[in-house]
Amino acid sequence: MSERRSIGSILRRLFLVDLIKGLAVTLRYSARALVEPRDGANPLQSIYTAQYPKERPNIPERWRGAPKLNNDPRTGESLCTACNVCALVCPVDVIQVSHASREFRDGEKVKKKKVLTTFVFDTSRCMFCGLCQDNCPTLCLELTQEFELAVDSRAGLVWDREMLEKGINVVTYKK
Amino acid sequence: MSSDAPNASEHVFEHTEMLLNMGPQHPSTHGVLRVLLKLDGETVVDLDCDIGYLHRGVEKICEHDTYPMITPYFDRLDYVAAINGDLVYVEAVERLMGVEVPRKAQYLRVILAELQRITSHLLWLATHALDIGAATIFLYTFREREEILKIIENFIGARLTTHAFRIGGFEWDANPEFERDVRAFLDMFPGRIDEYETILSENRIWLARTVGIGVLSAENAIDIGLTGPVLRASGVKYDVRRAAPYSTYPEFDFEIPIGETGDTYDRYLVRMQEMRQSIRIVQQALDGLPEGDVMAARVPRVIKPPAGEVFHTNESPKGEIGVYLVSDGTNTPYRLRVRPPCFVNLQALKQLAIGHLMADVVALIGTVDIVLGEVDR
Amino acid sequence: MNRAWGNFAQRRKGATVSSIVRPGLVSFAVSLFLCVFDAPLREVAAQTQTQAPPPPPSPVVPTWSPVELIESLGVSHGFAEYVVLPAIQFAVLLAAILTAVAYLVYLERKVAAFIQARLGPMRVGPVGLLQPLADGLKLLAKEDLVPQGADRLVFLFAPVIAITAALGLLVLVPFGAAWGTVTDINIGLLFLLAVASVGVFGIVLAGWASNSKYALMGAMRSSAQLVSYEVAVGMALIGPLLFARSLSMQEIVEAQRFTGLWFVVLQPLAFAIYFIGSLAETNRAPFDLPEAESELVAGFHVEYSGFRWAIFFMAEYTNIIITSAIAVTVFLGGWSFPGLETAVSWIAGTDPSTPLYSVVFTLATLGVFTVKVALLIYVVMWIRWTLPRYRYDQLMDLGWKWLIPVSLANILITALAFLLAMRPDQGGVFGLLEVTKNGLWIGWTGTAWFIAVNIATFTVAAWLLKKLNRTSWTTDIDALRRAEAQKRAGRLATATERGAR
Ligand code: SF4
Ligand code: SF4
Repeated sequence: MSERRSIGSILRRLFLVDLIKGLAVTLRYSARALVEPRDGANPLQSIYTAQYPKERPNIPERWRGAPKLNNDPRTGESLCTACNVCALVCPVDVIQVSHASREFRDGEKVKKKKVLTTFVFDTSRCMFCGLCQDNCPTLCLELTQEFELAVDSRAGLVWDREMLEKGINVVTYKK
Repeated sequence: MSSDAPNASEHVFEHTEMLLNMGPQHPSTHGVLRVLLKLDGETVVDLDCDIGYLHRGVEKICEHDTYPMITPYFDRLDYVAAINGDLVYVEAVERLMGVEVPRKAQYLRVILAELQRITSHLLWLATHALDIGAATIFLYTFREREEILKIIENFIGARLTTHAFRIGGFEWDANPEFERDVRAFLDMFPGRIDEYETILSENRIWLARTVGIGVLSAENAIDIGLTGPVLRASGVKYDVRRAAPYSTYPEFDFEIPIGETGDTYDRYLVRMQEMRQSIRIVQQALDGLPEGDVMAARVPRVIKPPAGEVFHTNESPKGEIGVYLVSDGTNTPYRLRVRPPCFVNLQALKQLAIGHLMADVVALIGTVDIVLGEVDR
Repeated sequence: MNRAWGNFAQRRKGATVSSIVRPGLVSFAVSLFLCVFDAPLREVAAQTQTQAPPPPPSPVVPTWSPVELIESLGVSHGFAEYVVLPAIQFAVLLAAILTAVAYLVYLERKVAAFIQARLGPMRVGPVGLLQPLADGLKLLAKEDLVPQGADRLVFLFAPVIAITAALGLLVLVPFGAAWGTVTDINIGLLFLLAVASVGVFGIVLAGWASNSKYALMGAMRSSAQLVSYEVAVGMALIGPLLFARSLSMQEIVEAQRFTGLWFVVLQPLAFAIYFIGSLAETNRAPFDLPEAESELVAGFHVEYSGFRWAIFFMAEYTNIIITSAIAVTVFLGGWSFPGLETAVSWIAGTDPSTPLYSVVFTLATLGVFTVKVALLIYVVMWIRWTLPRYRYDQLMDLGWKWLIPVSLANILITALAFLLAMRPDQGGVFGLLEVTKNGLWIGWTGTAWFIAVNIATFTVAAWLLKKLNRTSWTTDIDALRRAEAQKRAGRLATATERGAR
């Protein structure tokens, strides 16, 4: 109510103490930026920038990135049983699995087996929620740590089985 | 008006107002909000919000998706606080099914939700300060936010739209470094809040731009239906974490900061305090983290809640987010409806802004803290 | 002391007008008193007066000039002095300034980055040093768009006005001693201020011609802002001019060199006002309202693209250089620096007529000036990246109700103090100042006197500000709230009255 204030507060106001305190914070940062050695993305340092293509980010193991279809390391055959669970569970219908029945001889008997023919994964619409990966019964479909998915055309974002098995060729930044 | 009217020039000067179209592409409307301003000079005399530019029909889509498939959509409502969105949905389904979530999972959920609350408030501070012209705060808060995002990324596997929870618990237990990382963050963060406050809280320009701007009385705030920090800044002590406790919140000791007059400065102070309280909650949850499983044992592969309905609310960083869920016993919900805090809080904008200047409108859009993903759904 | 302030606060009931009139009356009474008691005071002073210190030797300025060099190529003296040399100087200056502007942008980005925990441009060239070049090329390659419905001719011409006004000023800035400056006219400072305000036409016309509401509002804001801050800036400069006794930029520097005192010591308040005002005049934060990104997107140049936009940008940075240069010249000693002559004599001997001495001395002064300006610009950038932005009405308040009253009080009190401090035989009383044929001599006693006077001015200014700014003075949050509520109600009432609601 009363506007009685100490002479100190009046002086603080006239000498812009409130502004100078803020300026001191920023000056400290810029002074430290000049002297401190830098290692990327360390929050305790005055410069936080990581020089991305030169300094690779640390991608966590659980990262849900580019999809991949795993092959059986022993036989080299796809682990996918074409069960279609991943396609069903995807909220945005990204995956299309098609299969063929193939006869094969198991000893005496002639059996029929579902084999995967094509597998289309539209990364442009995928939201990397990880549901497909979680639900794949054979650990075939995996979301890898690869994250550089940009390509020149929209068509390039639709991955076929070959791309999914090999993985994409990421251009590595030199210099 | 026609040019051959007798007093054409007088006519022009009678009407002093000007219509200004702010957005949907405007740097300070936080996404695709369109605000129609009626200005007299620079004074706002009327204001209308035009929303819907980000409408995706999430509620309708959910009627066609199975229960687990819906969770990622809740990431995309309030996409800067995805974990809080997930939490309210999975808890609603769990309530409907009567699933008991293991205590460890509950604690981890609280930790993640509070960390996400901090990121959301940091983002709010960043954009709010940027709107008022303090560009540097923006980068500082983003640095701290990045640290939290790294923690979340290591645990969950994604940064922004996390899809953190599954119905019944977690997909994975916390990664081994989780506790160490969170503790390191908790050590660093209070000092950083002090830094923001040194730059802003006493700054005369900041005071001039926030104090007394957009005053909202408690009655008004309740009438509009506001929740969250915007309501608490008007002096109403209402926080779902205390008023209708969910998860393990009753076990933690924290305060609910409230403001006095409900102006922009109070809302700023309340959110700054809330960040400090969130730190306290995370600290306690981390100290008392129980051992055990993170996934409820009896969650079926195909989730079919019994026919019935549930309305579950949480305290999201923006306010009270609610999910109304009707199940008809099948594997997709019969109806799902979201009570979005941002949409409701946005309705206060007109009351807040009238009589202030055009420059205050951006400060006010910042202070109600909206995310268009949630406003439009 | 405490109580006294409180009593002031309680007693202030009258209208604002009376609070302006009262200090006026007081000062009138003081001057009346001085007129009446002039003679007796002088008598008193004549007895107590100590002998003024002897004037120091005239400073050493090189007498050799490159004109002689040009003449030796067979050019007539007049042609060499008035055409060839200025042309060379201006060409060099223009190239230097345009490069400096480009690198100021780079510097600004680096300063901002270091303040904000970033690295800034790093990719083009070593540590991003070629970034300005890349930006320039990019802007040149961009399409030059003219919006539909724009006033085409004005739209295209507006940036030209802005840049011409800015670059034209460069000839008068005293970058260095002797031939380090293009020209020096006896109304230098006045000319600078006058031409600088032409630049605002570029902004206004750009905003008007764009046929965009945002641009128009930006232009309106900036014209109002520039016009009102010009007053404060102009009046702040009067204080130091009392001591410089000249409007010529070189003579202002010489005056400071002669007394060995930078005018910032004698006129700190004026410096503060000038600095704040020049921030506002160059649209820098916290006064960057005309281009307030968050409200007006980009303000007056929102519709400009490509190189025309770059020209506005260049004009803005040139203006920053010029206002900083004026501040350095008038308040911070210009190109002079204590001990500079000694340092030069180590390298080039003491004979001011040799070409070597001339070259070394001029280059040294150029260096000193550049460093001073650069430091000042750093402060400007540092402020920009720390502080939030004022609102339009608050900006006007600050200009008219804070800076202008203080600068008026400053002029009044300084002038009185100056009069009192002069030697009795030169029309003063105390004899602390002496007008010699080389300029004004202010000894130690004079300096002490003016520092005391400044403290007095400061107190008077504080009192005046408190009288004038009942609401914006306070840091009390509740009072601020009430004031803002009042303003809001007032604005709504006005709007209703005008039928806008
Ligand atoms: S990550 Fe999610 S959106 Fe993408 S394919 Fe798998 S289930 Fe579908
Ligand atoms: S869920 Fe796995 S096994 Fe089944 S179709 Fe998809 S990738 Fe193949």
